[in-house]
Amino acid sequence: MASPKPSLLFITLLLLLLHLTITTSSPHFEGFEELELEPEPDFDISLPPPPITLSTSLDPEPENPPLDHQPDLNPKPETPNPQLEYWDEEEFEGFPEPEKPKTELGQNGLDSDPVQNNEPELVETVKVKLSQPVPLTKRIKSYIIEIFCLLFLVLFSVKYFVGKKTNESLALAWATKFATRGTIFDKNFSLLGVGDKEGEDAPLLLKEGQNVFKFYASGRRYCQGLVATMELKSRHDLIASMYNVFVPCKDEIRIEVYMNNDAMDHVVFALGKKRAAKVMDKEMRDLQRFGNVLASSKKWVADELVVVSELKEVAADLLNESVVEQVFGEKAFEKLGKYFISMHFSDQQQSTHRKMLVFKFALPVTNHMADMTPLVALVPYYIDLIGRYKLSSQARSKTEAARIKVAQEVQKELQNARQAALQRKKAERRKMMDEAEAQLTAEILRKREEKERARQLKKAMPKIKMSRGG
Amino acid sequence: MSSSGNDPRQPSTAKPYKPQPIHPDNLPIDYSGFLAIICGVAGVMFKYKLGSWLALIFCAQSLANMRNIETDLKQISTGFMFAVMGLVTNYLSPARAGVKT
Repeated sequence: MASPKPSLLFITLLLLLLHLTITTSSPHFEGFEELELEPEPDFDISLPPPPITLSTSLDPEPENPPLDHQPDLNPKPETPNPQLEYWDEEEFEGFPEPEKPKTELGQNGLDSDPVQNNEPELVETVKVKLSQPVPLTKRIKSYIIEIFCLLFLVLFSVKYFVGKKTNESLALAWATKFATRGTIFDKNFSLLGVGDKEGEDAPLLLKEGQNVFKFYASGRRYCQGLVATMELKSRHDLIASMYNVFVPCKDEIRIEVYMNNDAMDHVVFALGKKRAAKVMDKEMRDLQRFGNVLASSKKWVADELVVVSELKEVAADLLNESVVEQVFGEKAFEKLGKYFISMHFSDQQQSTHRKMLVFKFALPVTNHMADMTPLVALVPYYIDLIGRYKLSSQARSKTEAARIKVAQEVQKELQNARQAALQRKKAERRKMMDEAEAQLTAEILRKREEKERARQLKKAMPKIKMSRGG
Repeated sequence: MSSSGNDPRQPSTAKPYKPQPIHPDNLPIDYSGFLAIICGVAGVMFKYKLGSWLALIFCAQSLANMRNIETDLKQISTGFMFAVMGLVTNYLSPARAGVKT
């Protein structure tokens, strides 16, 4: 019990030391405050420059007097005295408030050295000079984002209205060329336009967005109707049109003809420019399943075109001499090539309507809409051709076999998918069961362990009893 | 090029146009609206005024490309809200303005 005392003493000593250090340090802080207060004499020391500026007229002489002043100022701890002296030197000798000049001094001292009354004007001019160039250069720079963005928004809105109008005029030019009275679609369809009633007032085009226009026609033999969708360049969108500078695109029209179910035999046929045909061959399931790329050995269609067909015979019948001569031949295609993209006839289309003819053309400029007339004329021509077309018995059996095979495959795939789904479900259920069992077994194990422990305890207990008993 | 002489038109079979109902999931994705929301959120979160301005621009683009008013307007309005919120916090908050000017 003797040892704690010195330790307590030691701790108290330590505490005292700490206290002393804190107390000694606090005066230090006070001293800092004093140091902060000290600058006033420093100011007085730094006063010499102003006299220099003041006495620019008398160069060599005034340099000495400030030096003389310095020793005078240093011994004097009080600041107001020299100021008063300065004030006394000037006309404001008996000025009752010495504090006012003090504040002026402080302000001036912050900005620049001068203390004298003559200086403020100079200070003001300096201030003006400093404040003038800031707004001119820096403000414009700081608002550059706002300026740029607002300019962009204005340009965007201008482009929107201009582009919207050009797109509308292009679509209208197409409609007036091919869908007004006495034109191709009027001669072939009894109902034109998307209105419910037949008449002049019914609108021909349906506008879906600013660059998508739809045209509908119905009332013709062999087909239920036709929907032409014009997807024009997004001229209304500044960002998209900027993008299209690097990735050019065309004004496209896609004409879908919904054939009557009884009016189309087993036909899977596609014709397109090389790139478009490749994409179609990859993406279209019916072309993948039934179609084969036909190599054109003899002079048949233009070199740019690729024919994909289920049967060679069908392709030959669809691309008969007159069509090749007028549209797809080497000579005719030179002119029409830039407006043709692809066409795809199939009774196995991947869409809501199975039997469908799809034409894809590029639209010419508004003034040259007549250039694509032969291509648009293909639409009613192929409706009639395919509507009447009957496969030979041999070809029919072939295509039928192919379709049955494909149907079986599809069914198999479906069944497989269904079975896989079922198996997955079963596996999941089994997993769940296993997990539940595992939990159960774990519980059982725990119970068993507890029992064993209890038993061991019981075994141990009697020993104690025995010992007690002993 | 028409192969038949007689009139192919059949007014009796004409059906009025029925717009195909488009499932909302099959609609083309509105990238600009999405970008507007992302930029707007970034502008609000990081007090980044360029983000808010970009959000406003993408809002305008999304508005220009709008097809289906009901579904698209929601996204555009959220993007627009974020953009405006970002601009308001950027330009009207006193502390920020004090630093800038």
